[in-house]
Amino acid sequence: MIVAIAVSSALSVLVLALALVLPSLNSPTVPFGVRVPAQRAADPTVVRQTRTYRLRVLGSGILAAGFGIVMFSVTGEPLLLPMSVLLIVGAWYGCFFLANHEIRAAKAAGGWYEGMRQGIAVDTELRTDPPRFPWLWLAPAPIIMVATVVIGAIRYPSMPTTLNLHYGANGVPDRMAAKSVAAAFSLVFVQVGITALLAFIAAAVFRSRPDLDPAHPVASARWYRRYLSLSAKALLGLAAMIDLAMLGASLLMWTGTITPWAPLVVALPILTAVVVAVVVLARNNRERADGDPDTGLTHRDDDRYWHGGLFYLNREDHALLVPRRFGLGWTLNLGNPRTAILLAGVLAIIGLLITLRFSA
Amino acid sequence: MILNVDLSSEVPLYQQLRDRIVEAIAEGVLTEGSPLPPIRALAADFGINFHTVNKAYDLLRQQGLIRLNRKTGAVVTSTIADSAFREDWTARARTLLSEAVARGLPADEVLTTCRSLLASFGTSQPEDTP
Repeated sequence: MIVAIAVSSALSVLVLALALVLPSLNSPTVPFGVRVPAQRAADPTVVRQTRTYRLRVLGSGILAAGFGIVMFSVTGEPLLLPMSVLLIVGAWYGCFFLANHEIRAAKAAGGWYEGMRQGIAVDTELRTDPPRFPWLWLAPAPIIMVATVVIGAIRYPSMPTTLNLHYGANGVPDRMAAKSVAAAFSLVFVQVGITALLAFIAAAVFRSRPDLDPAHPVASARWYRRYLSLSAKALLGLAAMIDLAMLGASLLMWTGTITPWAPLVVALPILTAVVVAVVVLARNNRERADGDPDTGLTHRDDDRYWHGGLFYLNREDHALLVPRRFGLGWTLNLGNPRTAILLAGVLAIIGLLITLRFSA
Repeated sequence: MILNVDLSSEVPLYQQLRDRIVEAIAEGVLTEGSPLPPIRALAADFGINFHTVNKAYDLLRQQGLIRLNRKTGAVVTSTIADSAFREDWTARARTLLSEAVARGLPADEVLTTCRSLLASFGTSQPEDTP
């Protein structure tokens, strides 16, 4: 129980911290997902909205966490704890949208883009001499998977006749199955699925289109290469840590261990990896234009493709992934037909994994 | 190589692309054998129409600056200026210089600008023959 509370609180703190620092991490020319010229980055409206946003996030975050704790102490239902994290995310989006709306209104009223020379910058070397994919970082995940299979095969004869497939938040098993190969190795399928998905995302990120700043294209391109490589490493590292968590959970299942800290075996490696990945990406999320002379161009105004400030929908654009304007990493181009196929595929894999796990 | 295009300029996009690539060749950023991205990839990176990039590449091919190959894609080639090119280039230079004279730029300044521009293209380019 204590473990469930600790994990949910850690997640809430992580989400809140990210929400509070994000305005300082994202590009100053895209405050709250509104594209503005560099001269307007410190406009009084932007400064005021940033302050208001932070106050709103903090207030609603404390309210949501308090609500979760009160509901939990009244009902004792551990499911309410992750719910309060979702509540914080929902409130966060509300705060973001209000700031986005205000800045968009100020931009339209003040004609911020009038007389600006809008441009597009492309680094052709990203295609003719792409950065090297960090293949070495892909190695740990398959090694952990093979280790899981080997340890499982060795231990199989000595495994208990009933396997604990799932533990409740208090560490007591709440779903069991008779010993079978499918049940014993069910988590290996999760490992394979997660690793394949994250490796695929890393590969897609490597092929994705950068959003270079036409005012400082050289520094921007240099930064993007570094960010690409870091992101791929973060994703592959996350895959390895999830696989490690699955190995830990499998060991608990195979030995029939029942302890109150069982959820920690899964949560700790994954939460650590998520925190490390977020911190690494957050520290490198903002490009620096050091020493690069200004070309006099401004990034083109592409607000009309961003719906609700967060969702990119552009049918003319052949890109599958585009850099997020508010947040870390990339987002899907919802106007691309391949996105629909991809989302359907991911849903099918998740569905398959859940069915496999429940039928086992 | 960084390709920067100005969307508010009156110069059409394909012409801007072509100009930036010619400048990169002059500056030595692109040399003989340097690959250029496939047309489709470059169009996707710019978020512009495939035909715009196709038109730019086609112009460069006609002018003998790049070679388009189904297998190797677009590659920079070296060409020797023939008499037809010399005539055509002189005519265009005449127009450009006329603009300077018409707007009252002193001849010294025009020459200094021309020299410093040529010098900025680096030493890899052949010096003008005496």
